[in-house]
Amino acid sequence: MKTCLAAVAALFATAAAAHDFWIEPSTFHPTPGTAVGVGLRVGEYFIGDPVKRQSSAIERFLVRQADGEQAVGGADNIDPAGFLRADGRETAVIGYSGGGAYLEMPPDRFAVYLRLYGLDWVVAEREKRGESARPGRERFYRCAKALLTGARGAAAASRPLGFAYEIVPDDDPTRRREPFGGHLLSDGKPMAGAVIGAYLQGEPSIRLETRTDSAGAFRFDLPKAGVWLIRSVHMERAGMFDRNDWNSRWASLTFEQPEGAR
Amino acid sequence: MRRLIALLLLLCAGMARAHEIGTTQVRLDLGADHRWTAVVTTFPTALLNRLEAEAGRPLSRDLTAARVQEILPGFAAAIARHADIRFDGQAVPVTARLSRVDMPDDVMLPSTVELTLSGPIPDTARAVTWRYELVSSTYAVVFSDGTGGAPATQWLEGDADSKPFALSVNAPPAIPGQIIAQYLQLGFLHILPQGLDHILFVLGIFLLTTKPRPILIQVTAFTIAHSVTLGLTLYGVISLPPRIVEPLIALSVAYVAIENVVAGTLTPWRPAVVFGFGLLHGMGFAGVLTELRLSRADVVPALVSFNAGIELAQLTIIGAAYLAFALWHRNKPWYRRRFVVPSSLAIAATGLFWTAQRIAG
Repeated sequence: MKTCLAAVAALFATAAAAHDFWIEPSTFHPTPGTAVGVGLRVGEYFIGDPVKRQSSAIERFLVRQADGEQAVGGADNIDPAGFLRADGRETAVIGYSGGGAYLEMPPDRFAVYLRLYGLDWVVAEREKRGESARPGRERFYRCAKALLTGARGAAAASRPLGFAYEIVPDDDPTRRREPFGGHLLSDGKPMAGAVIGAYLQGEPSIRLETRTDSAGAFRFDLPKAGVWLIRSVHMERAGMFDRNDWNSRWASLTFEQPEGAR
Repeated sequence: MRRLIALLLLLCAGMARAHEIGTTQVRLDLGADHRWTAVVTTFPTALLNRLEAEAGRPLSRDLTAARVQEILPGFAAAIARHADIRFDGQAVPVTARLSRVDMPDDVMLPSTVELTLSGPIPDTARAVTWRYELVSSTYAVVFSDGTGGAPATQWLEGDADSKPFALSVNAPPAIPGQIIAQYLQLGFLHILPQGLDHILFVLGIFLLTTKPRPILIQVTAFTIAHSVTLGLTLYGVISLPPRIVEPLIALSVAYVAIENVVAGTLTPWRPAVVFGFGLLHGMGFAGVLTELRLSRADVVPALVSFNAGIELAQLTIIGAAYLAFALWHRNKPWYRRRFVVPSSLAIAATGLFWTAQRIAG
């Protein structure tokens, strides 16, 4: 694993084009019966702007907790994008998939953004196709998950939700501090060689990065307790009838890792 | 025909999808007193954390309104540096101040902070561009021209530059001939090739019969109707939201095509129905003109020439369809069975698909 503790200023110098997407609930450890606002965030280095709920963009927006699976309700054009009543008895899994948003950006910024996310092969492919001087045209799809700490752990935390691109922890990471291991799935199959990043909320200088192995597995030695964002992006060439040249899939997982000795 | 429908569905599948619209909003007022003011409403935690990270300070968590009011004024100069307002390409100085903080305790309610940015407008300025770097989501900038021009809204992706917004005070006087030519072309292109739903509606009218009189009656009813609502919508007399108008336009496409299959001749109610649908299409046409921020003096010539462009496009569609097929085959015994019915069914299926798609949003 390659760990990178970079200077904050350097991180923000290249922030302009990046756009991570994650779920940020109003609390990561709700007591039973608590009303939880489920915020969607877009941003970089775990500093994000709220995204309003748009029903037309949502494919699935759900919560799995002790009393079963329910849709996360909410009202359009409102932040928080969803609301739920926390069961609190065990770890709850919130999932959001959707998107299809289109983005076009100048070629130089597109190249910076691709390299920032470890997508150098896309830069090379654009060069090969003679597209390096053309704007980057991308449509992106989101698959975000969050874990809410409950009174006890839950096997559901380490089960896939069936998203097109998904980070699945090997164990429930909200229980105790230990190295975080997981698998990255694309259409339910292991995704090899993908870049995975980890960010600690409130400390943008801490940036961990690794790649999945041939089985889609990855592992982070998270240096501190707190709220973590694990994320990955995968890009593929769009179809000939598409307005965009590239389709990207963004997977994220947010959770709070407790204090305590290893 | 199944292949045709499949192709149409495939083409439609990739049409516009939702952007990730955030809670940031900007209203940029361009005053007659040679000063501009921008009111930026945004999410306090992200704003403050970005500024703190840039300054190398620890990030604030669990913010309260009082804490934001205490910390944020210290970043006024940094906020101003992240706003790039240019008149005719030249950046102008920006000052920023905190106007309001609203952070309710209820997690179900959004938190906002309001910043007021301001600066001078050069005397000879013709156009302004806006860029704000402290946001990642899609947001709207409303340009408001205090010197007499119409307001306009632009949607921006994060820190992207806006398109230039023209100030009416120093705008060169428009030449009437240019306006007529410009809007004639705009009206034509709005139908052909850009208005696939309008094209299919006109083809639906044409497919009913090859006799000139029924076509003329329907086209006239459609033209009068859409001219009326186009004008009334443009002057703000009537208004219906696109979420109502657009599905009904799609439904009108399906209706005329289905009636072609079921009736086959000009029914007494068809001109009235086409007139009714024309009223809806007129409201759809108005959308493109309202987005163009016409000055009051330009409204009448623009309206007339835009309408003329639409008529020209409709006649082109009917003429092309007639020359391509009806002229040669209209008297054949199979004309209706092999051409009118399958084509109408394909149009009807497309119209119904659009209706469902537009209702679903």
